[in-house]
Amino acid sequence: MSELPALGAMASAFTLSTGDNQVVAFGDGDAVPTLLVFFKHDCATCDLTLPLVERLHTALSAEGLRVVGISQDAVAHTSDVVARHHLSFTVALDGDLEVSADYGFDAVPALVLVGPDRAVVASFEGFTRPDLLTLTERTAAACGAAAPRLVHDGDGLPEHRPGCGSKVHDPDVARRLAVRRGAATLGARRVQVPIADDPFDFLSAQGLDDGLPVVPPTEARVLRMLDGTQRAASDVVAHVPPNLAPATVEKIAINAVMAGCRPEYLPVVIAATEAACTDQFNLHGVLATTYFVAPVIVVNGPIRRAIDLNCGANLFGQGFRANATIGRALQLVVRNIGGGKPGGVDMSTLGQPGKFTCCVGELEEASCWEPFHVERGFAADTSTVTVFAGEAPRAIRDQLSRTAPSLGASMGMCLQSMAHPKLAHVGEALLVVCPEHIRIFEQDGYTKADLRARIQEATARPLRELLPDADCQKGMTLRAVPNALLGPDGQPTAEGLETPLSKFQQDTDILVMVAGGTTGKFSAFLGGWANGAAGSMAVTREIRP
Amino acid sequence: MHEPLVILDPTDERAVIGRQLAARPEQLTGTLGIVDIAKPRGDVFLDELERLIRERLPALQVLRLRKPTYTKPSPPDLRDEVSSRCQAVIQALAD
Repeated sequence: MSELPALGAMASAFTLSTGDNQVVAFGDGDAVPTLLVFFKHDCATCDLTLPLVERLHTALSAEGLRVVGISQDAVAHTSDVVARHHLSFTVALDGDLEVSADYGFDAVPALVLVGPDRAVVASFEGFTRPDLLTLTERTAAACGAAAPRLVHDGDGLPEHRPGCGSKVHDPDVARRLAVRRGAATLGARRVQVPIADDPFDFLSAQGLDDGLPVVPPTEARVLRMLDGTQRAASDVVAHVPPNLAPATVEKIAINAVMAGCRPEYLPVVIAATEAACTDQFNLHGVLATTYFVAPVIVVNGPIRRAIDLNCGANLFGQGFRANATIGRALQLVVRNIGGGKPGGVDMSTLGQPGKFTCCVGELEEASCWEPFHVERGFAADTSTVTVFAGEAPRAIRDQLSRTAPSLGASMGMCLQSMAHPKLAHVGEALLVVCPEHIRIFEQDGYTKADLRARIQEATARPLRELLPDADCQKGMTLRAVPNALLGPDGQPTAEGLETPLSKFQQDTDILVMVAGGTTGKFSAFLGGWANGAAGSMAVTREIRP
Repeated sequence: MHEPLVILDPTDERAVIGRQLAARPEQLTGTLGIVDIAKPRGDVFLDELERLIRERLPALQVLRLRKPTYTKPSPPDLRDEVSSRCQAVIQALAD
């Protein structure tokens, strides 16, 4: 909140122009009493006050009073106001609202009476009869004239009526003014785009994009983005591999702007950055590997609805701003803050489309199971983000299974191919169960634990079938074979060769979520990367405001 | 009013330090480190390499080292061991 200039203070000089480009200068040798009236077109209190100011102008202009109306609107709306109230005094346009900001009021109308010496003699915001009376008397005194009677019986004027908010406080304007006045506290280096350059081409030429155009991160946009979080812009959220560069909230916000995020998505991007930069997720490895994986972001809790995150049909597809831009923002954070770029530290052989963006929500409402984040230790009403190093989604097509064990076996058979059918214990997988499939599990009372056990059962193969052989030289290396199946010579024992190994080292390596469209018996899985703590494991973090 | 577009730098704003490759030794003396980055079957290749080196350069000391996992950068202790004990190092990638 701010205040009008104090009585006796020197009023700020200004130069504005009228709607027909006449210069209106104030403060440089005027030497006459001047009444400044700030207004906007859609303010009923302004409509009530302006005719009274017109009366004052009519009464005292011959006595030397100068009245300057200062409109916070553009030409068209300003002309409407002038015509509506038959204003005969000069009206200037304060399009940038710089003068309004200088005068420090919170509401319009705002009236400031300035003496010939430029000292403020009277001022008020909104409408009050006593203030109007005082202002009238002081105006007349400054002109050496008798006070005119502005208010007549039958005018129906109230004693008091609050004004409307000055446009200075409109969010976009406030941010722009803060930047122009140097009041903003952003620390990032300012880069001026050459006037002849297209901003999109400029950002691309600087290597700051992901191959698609990015939104230019202007100060006003970044400030607006920062409204999405209560955290200070200077907070360091994490150190981003591979350069282990500090990611402040501000730097994340800049990249979120570039990705096209709305401010309310920012807390998700911040939490995803925090989760991805843990040792457990091992972002350096996820980035550097020649394998396919990308950070897959799974969102749970109330924020899904608040930001319109798609949890339903076309889950991994296009068309949903929150999904598309949150995943992209994390990738831009890795690229621009962490320095991880394709051809540099990012050495993926084939990559996958999810390296542009991959963010989905769980359709908790369609699930008979506890939500993904609750299983991972969070309260149901807590919003969380989970990052998982995943391949692209792969189909599990089963329209025929009508029992949970059959469907579970189906899923296991598909999961067997993760990485390679002859590889077991290759890390986590993210299983995405579609709504039509979850109903089959629900009908049979199948729990997540039951499903995991069924998948492990369906994927169990004797070690013999998993070792490299003449038919297929690919298979488990002896180093990956559990020691219990090896003899003193380091080779598999006869009994070991017949011992079945399931696909996953432990049941909990199968991450299970529910999502997707209500039609279609198509679930999916996303293969993970290297096994266990030595590779990458999914990490969940709370999304804080 | 037409103002030049000013954007905020999205990078970490740190200048990247260029690193020079170490000078290549004219001949191998002292201790040679052989670092296995822990990729599957990397040891097959490195075992054979070690055998050949011991056969042809019997005066050379060979120190076998291994990263805990290929998925993460070398831990500082391993880097210290290489730099303090070895005059040259061979690190190999395999799959």
